[in-house]
Amino acid sequence: MRVDPSYVTNLVGALDQTQVNEQQLSSELSSGVSVSSLSQNPVASGENVLLLNHIQQDDSFTQTSSLVSGKLQVADTALSQVVTQLNTAISLATRANNGTMNASNIQSISKQLAGILAEVTTLANTSYQGQYIFAGSQSSAAPFSTSTSTTPATTTYSGDSSVNYLETPNGQSIQLNVPGDQIFQGSGTSSVFGALNNLIADYASGTVDTAKAVSDTAALNTSLNYVSQQRVTIDNSLTQLTAASEAVSSDQTQLTTVQSNLMQADYATVSTQLSLAETQQTALISVIAQLNSTSNTLFSKL
Amino acid sequence: MGTISSAFSIISGALDADQAALNVVSNNVANANTTGYSEEVPTFEQSQTINVNGKTYGTGVSETGATSLRDRVLEQRLDQQQQSASASGARLTALNNIQALFTPDSGASSSTAGDIGSDITKFFSSLSSLEAEPTDSSLRLNVLSTAKTLSGDISNAAASLHSQQAGLDQDTTGVVSQINSLTTSIAQLNQQIQAASPSDASGTLEDQRQQDLSDLSKLIGINQVTTANNGVQITTTSGQLLVAGGVSNQVEGGIVNGVTDYSVNGTDVTSELASGGGELGGYLTARDQDIPSALSSLDQLAYSISTSVNAQNNQGTDGDGVTGSTANPLYIFSEPATVAGSAASMSVTMINSSQIAAAGAGKGTGDNSNAVVMANLAKQSIVNGQTATNYYSSFVSSLGSTVSGVETENTALNASVTQLQSQSNALSKVNLNDEASALTTLERSYQAASQVFSILNTIIQSALNLGESTAVS
Repeated sequence: MRVDPSYVTNLVGALDQTQVNEQQLSSELSSGVSVSSLSQNPVASGENVLLLNHIQQDDSFTQTSSLVSGKLQVADTALSQVVTQLNTAISLATRANNGTMNASNIQSISKQLAGILAEVTTLANTSYQGQYIFAGSQSSAAPFSTSTSTTPATTTYSGDSSVNYLETPNGQSIQLNVPGDQIFQGSGTSSVFGALNNLIADYASGTVDTAKAVSDTAALNTSLNYVSQQRVTIDNSLTQLTAASEAVSSDQTQLTTVQSNLMQADYATVSTQLSLAETQQTALISVIAQLNSTSNTLFSKL
Repeated sequence: MGTISSAFSIISGALDADQAALNVVSNNVANANTTGYSEEVPTFEQSQTINVNGKTYGTGVSETGATSLRDRVLEQRLDQQQQSASASGARLTALNNIQALFTPDSGASSSTAGDIGSDITKFFSSLSSLEAEPTDSSLRLNVLSTAKTLSGDISNAAASLHSQQAGLDQDTTGVVSQINSLTTSIAQLNQQIQAASPSDASGTLEDQRQQDLSDLSKLIGINQVTTANNGVQITTTSGQLLVAGGVSNQVEGGIVNGVTDYSVNGTDVTSELASGGGELGGYLTARDQDIPSALSSLDQLAYSISTSVNAQNNQGTDGDGVTGSTANPLYIFSEPATVAGSAASMSVTMINSSQIAAAGAGKGTGDNSNAVVMANLAKQSIVNGQTATNYYSSFVSSLGSTVSGVETENTALNASVTQLQSQSNALSKVNLNDEASALTTLERSYQAASQVFSILNTIIQSALNLGESTAVS
């Protein structure tokens, strides 16, 4: 039976292979990544792209939502202050309507109501980081202005009814603003500014047309309720945003774990394999050294 | 006629034969490490017998030459496996270079820059962030910056693929010139062998030709046929004649569409060579199949993203209040004309981030509806029926599978080549133990013959001294 006289060359080939293995395993240990090229695990590489996509989207949403919640908080605070002001206005108007006040007191109430109107206008023109938050999409200019050329004065709205939504990674839409015309001008009878302007005009002369004043006060009350309702929309958005952020955050944590398991090296396994490769290499070296010694051919016996 | 002098001539013939055989053995030992040398065995033949008066007398032995120990069939099998192994080896090297351009992102914060999948996500995320505050200039700048990163990475990948293709093209040219010189040499050897030893497989010319054939097999896929007069006819695996008798056909290259195409005898055989095996086959497969496939996937991705984002941006109103139109389009990316080449030319042409149309058409600048739609392009099937991320994910997955498949194939083929090589070596390579024992045998036989010679000498001495009183010594 014949034998390949150069079988030692094959052993050297095997020795080279163990060195390659050792190199690969060491680089895996040092980088911490088990899949460093596509061919090592093609399915994992494809999965990895999808997982990272999800994780990064979640991360981006977390950052965006903190931006957005600031703006919503400001809107909520402004509206709560509007409600306070309107409550004050209603109690002033009620006192003026009960018929126990003299003309100069009534005129002073008119002036106080004018002050409240100015305050509410300022609140309606609240801006956040340079953008007017109650102007719909026309956020670069203050939406509300009052002109005293008419009696009663008219407050005009120069914004629009555009509503912005924020999409969460799960496809939920969160409302980001309520347009000013919706809050303060409602649908005709529940207009905050309309009612205030009317009441100011009603008390300006000092004499009260009680029926008209009472109906205007009722209108102001209705508009106050309307503002409170709009405020609920903002509060809902804040709640939704918090819930979405929490969901996204836990989603991100979970996915990060999955992605790590997919791509990161398992140190225990790699260390064991590395030590096996080293043992194999040592063994091969001894075998080759032994076989290569010169007393192994017949020639040495001649 | 059994005379003493004829015995002398028989013995001297034996001594000559042993000397010649010793020559062969020493030649074997001297060439023990020569590549391609096959062990030679001296052939002893009984010389013609003589018939005198009905009695047959032998005339001794002669050494008629050395026979090479080789198995033609085994050698052919080995050559064929070498072809496949070289082809997959060359292709694997090229594929490893391709896949190095798309190393998976490990996800750690210090991960490798340039991962296209991450770039796609970050670009669409920047549009999602813009939804929160469409007029914020830093968010707008971020959109442009992520767009630039994305287009930069895609165009870089395409450029690298093109240069790898050019590199492979050069490799093929180098291989082809080697092939041409080998076929010329084989044709010459054919002629020489035909003249020298037309009937048997022996000699150093034979060894040289076999070495050339095995080198040629590593380079190109061939079929070999033994012809009359110990010649070898070589054709490519698709049937083009390379060597017939003493004539060799050169493989010629010419540039077609920016790459070198190869032809034999005027017939363009590039695609047959690609599937034929050998290093040339491996390089051509990588150059004409693997790289164009990766490029076309990148092109599709770049084209779809550029055109969809551009079209959507053009449907909105930008930060200056300008609405997009066909006459003055608001394009973020350079609008590609065709799918082919769109990856290499992908770039961001928008200079002012205020031109990003976050608002819906006709709305004020605080509106974000168009930004919402643009961000949602990430979830729409804009690339060949898949979302951009899914498309990229399938692309890397299938590239990884191709490479992994070739790796497995390469390992298996190399193992089988090693096995066949061992078998061939077992037969043909010089085994020093065999030579040592042959040497001892021949030495003893030489000793025996020379011993017989001394005895015959003594006999003649006695014969010469027959009936004489004085001794002749």
